[in-house]
Amino acid sequence: MPEITHPGTGSTRLRALKEQGVRSVWFLAASFATLTVFFILLFLLQDALPLFATVSPLEFLTGDTWNPTGAVPSYGIWPLIVGTLLVTLGAMVIAVPLGIGSAVCLAELAPPRVKAVAKPAIELLAGIPSVVYGFFGLIILTDWLRVAFDVPSGESWLAGSILLGVMALPTIISVSEDALNSVPASYREGSLALGATRWQTISRVLVPSALSGITAAVILGMGRAIGETMAVIMVTGNAAIIPDPITNLLSPIRTLTGTLGIEMGEVAVGSTHYHALFGVAVVLLLITLTVNLAALWIMKRIRAGYGTEEQGRHRLRVPGLQRKARLIVGIVLALLVLLILPLPAAAALLVLGAGAVLVHRRLSRANVQHLAFALLWASLGVVLAVLAVILGYIVVNGLPAITWEFLTQPPRDLGRAGGIFPAIVGTLYLVGGAILFALPIGIGAAVYLSEYTRGGRVTTAIRAGIDLLNGTPSIVFGLFGFTFLVIFLNFGVSLIAGMITLGLMILPTIIRTTEEALKSVPASVREGSLALGATRWQTIRRVVLPPAVPGILTGTILSIGRAAGETAPILFTAAVFSTRFLPNSLDDPVMALPYHLFILATTVPGAETQQYGTALVLLVLVVGIYAVAIALRHHSQKKIHW
Amino acid sequence: MKEHDAIITVNHLNLHYGEHHALKEIEVGFARHKVTALIGPSGCGKSTLLRCLNRMNDLVENVRIEGEVRFEGTDIYAPEVDVVEIRKQIGMVFQRPNPFPKSIYENVAYGPRVHGVRDRSTLDAVVEKSLRDAALWDEVKDRLDAPAFSLSGGQQQRLCIARTLAVEPEVVLMDEPCSALDPIATAKIEALIEELKTRYTVIIVTHNMQQAARASDYTGFMYLGELVEFGDTPQVFEAPREELTERYITGRFG
Ligand SMILES: Nc1ncnc2c1ncn2[C@@H]1O[C@H](COP(=O)(O)OP(=O)(O)OP(=O)(O)O)[C@@H](O)[C@H]1O
Ligand SMILES: [Mg+2]
Repeated sequence: MPEITHPGTGSTRLRALKEQGVRSVWFLAASFATLTVFFILLFLLQDALPLFATVSPLEFLTGDTWNPTGAVPSYGIWPLIVGTLLVTLGAMVIAVPLGIGSAVCLAELAPPRVKAVAKPAIELLAGIPSVVYGFFGLIILTDWLRVAFDVPSGESWLAGSILLGVMALPTIISVSEDALNSVPASYREGSLALGATRWQTISRVLVPSALSGITAAVILGMGRAIGETMAVIMVTGNAAIIPDPITNLLSPIRTLTGTLGIEMGEVAVGSTHYHALFGVAVVLLLITLTVNLAALWIMKRIRAGYGTEEQGRHRLRVPGLQRKARLIVGIVLALLVLLILPLPAAAALLVLGAGAVLVHRRLSRANVQHLAFALLWASLGVVLAVLAVILGYIVVNGLPAITWEFLTQPPRDLGRAGGIFPAIVGTLYLVGGAILFALPIGIGAAVYLSEYTRGGRVTTAIRAGIDLLNGTPSIVFGLFGFTFLVIFLNFGVSLIAGMITLGLMILPTIIRTTEEALKSVPASVREGSLALGATRWQTIRRVVLPPAVPGILTGTILSIGRAAGETAPILFTAAVFSTRFLPNSLDDPVMALPYHLFILATTVPGAETQQYGTALVLLVLVVGIYAVAIALRHHSQKKIHW
Repeated sequence: MKEHDAIITVNHLNLHYGEHHALKEIEVGFARHKVTALIGPSGCGKSTLLRCLNRMNDLVENVRIEGEVRFEGTDIYAPEVDVVEIRKQIGMVFQRPNPFPKSIYENVAYGPRVHGVRDRSTLDAVVEKSLRDAALWDEVKDRLDAPAFSLSGGQQQRLCIARTLAVEPEVVLMDEPCSALDPIATAKIEALIEELKTRYTVIIVTHNMQQAARASDYTGFMYLGELVEFGDTPQVFEAPREELTERYITGRFG
């Protein structure tokens, strides 16, 4: 065995070199995500800074008028910040009770047969493209509100909050459910064995134990709501005003994302207005980064082992103090709510709360449980009903539009006639390119993170980069694609710019799902191969990657679905509303389904049938892709038992 | 046995986990204010039988239970029976300590609270009494607000016992309560069991022959889902009627 003692000789050295090379390639792939985040920040900042030659940062943040195109332009984004916060707050008021209720219902009450239907349904809810939500909101929701409240227009804060609430639901439900499922079964048994009812067990032991996970779920849902663009543009009315009074739910409102989506397409590159928009993007990015970091931090603390004995012993906790702190936070929150709400509403809320406490004390334990379970089931029911209504409306109204001509012809008369063939093809091109771009990098990064490293500062930085990329709003990707690819690299509005922008957006999803798939391959399998003298890379390629393929495929398909439905990233990088031709090269702009739907719905009167038709085609495409991913995951989970 | 003053009687009890017949025609009575030990090789159904006595098996999917379990004369599987009430009367201590992620105080106060006690001074009294009964009071009286996980394994198990006693059950079921503990903690819990039997009926599953012989008044030996032998502890250990029992307690098994 001379090789052991003389590693300098022929084949061994070659092998070592090859191993090193492979490792470096994966390291580069993994660093790519972090570099991207860095680049995004850099380019946004670079384009935002010139603004402050004209406007002071304080003026920019706190100015109460946003009117960049007026005779005397003003660049105060305070109304936009307030709009973003209000619409998010409203969304959370709707989504948090419904989401947590549904999660508890799924985790604790629902029999397996109900779960088997409800869980995929909720995942589908996550798959509906935001422009389809926006379309539904614009055509139906705002109309309901208009009639219900007898106002001239339903485009309002309320409409935005309802829609964003629905869109945040799947995140809140699935992350909360995971948190509840990871509470040890022994807590449940312990509580039941003491004669606690199921509801008492749920409300006093299980939910408190899962509280940090549920909090993270809420924050993640909030991040989703803050970063959403298309749906918000379509239903909030987009007037850059602070509602007057502040509680006027029916007032139109404008968000940071909405401003970018509306104005970026029309602004002169290099103008003060242009720089101001990049300032808006930086503020938006900072807000979402903060929110996502908070969620990450909480999740990390949970994963570090909540409830394990070792942890508990080392964590310094003073429950007495904690109780006081909780009380203070509660009082402050209550005061805030009371301050914001108009007097009658506050009074009603107080009476309701007091009533609830009284009723709670009067009712027997069994009746409290009946009541609570009824509410939990109701929240799950509402969520499923929302899904059914949205799908139902679009399918019923869209079907008549689907003809052979519609699917195979280019549009005529601004999309009022003809078909959507170029949009279908354009979307497929965009998605295909995005996957080709993101898949190798994503898999490489995941392989590096899961197989070659055990921590350390560089890895931490890489992981943080991926997490941050994951939390970046899609409109920010759009802006980055515009300033970097379209302008700086001089690609112009083109297929290639759209592909790369979408590819960057789906990169974190691919990395995460691949890493999870790799991690689910047990260590013993690797050790078995290494013990036979296989090199690390041989082991990865021959025994680790093959069983991980279904997991990787699921992640890829989910990403395809996401890329196909996204509008904001291609808004200024790749999409045009109408061409008769298919793109001939990567430099040509393309039509895309979500963009087509957006323009049809917002700027082309008299194209109702085509709107529904386009929405249906997009929905079928994306939801179909998601359904395949869900089925695949279900199937592979059943098949592989380590 | 059944002629004794039995607080729980089991008649023709059969239990299936799916296809697996885990308990076969169990017939037994558990005497009031006595300690009964259940012994037998791993997988013979001791835990399953114990969990039938306070309907914890209701939580298992695909389980089928036939026969009767009577507590103070009422069949606890009858449809009109409130399972929550049954579990309040028949408490359970698990093999691994399973305190809630709450403070020591809140762990013990949990039971009384869920049963409607709100008054702080009553709760304080119950907590102190239960911790004293579980021989834990002196060790924790100065840090009742500390998290339960800050206790050692043996202390956690005694906390779980205190938590059960705080509900004031009639019967305490214990499933290998000492298996995760060292000899000193085990000795404390055995002493505790001796103490408890003046006021409670105790049914304990154990793998430890000495423990069964030392701590119990009656012993049942189970094998492959059947209750092979049941009788006074001295009789079972010194003059077993069944050859299987003898082979098991003398360690000549398998
Ligand atoms: N939830 C369950 N589902 C299916 N089978 C089960 C379940 N729980 C127990 N069993 C089976 O029932 C039989 C009896 O199990 P039980 O846990 O009662 O044994 P035990 O006597 O307590 O064993 P041990 O001494 O190891 O704790 C075993 O064969 C076991 O595999
Ligand atoms: Mg057992």
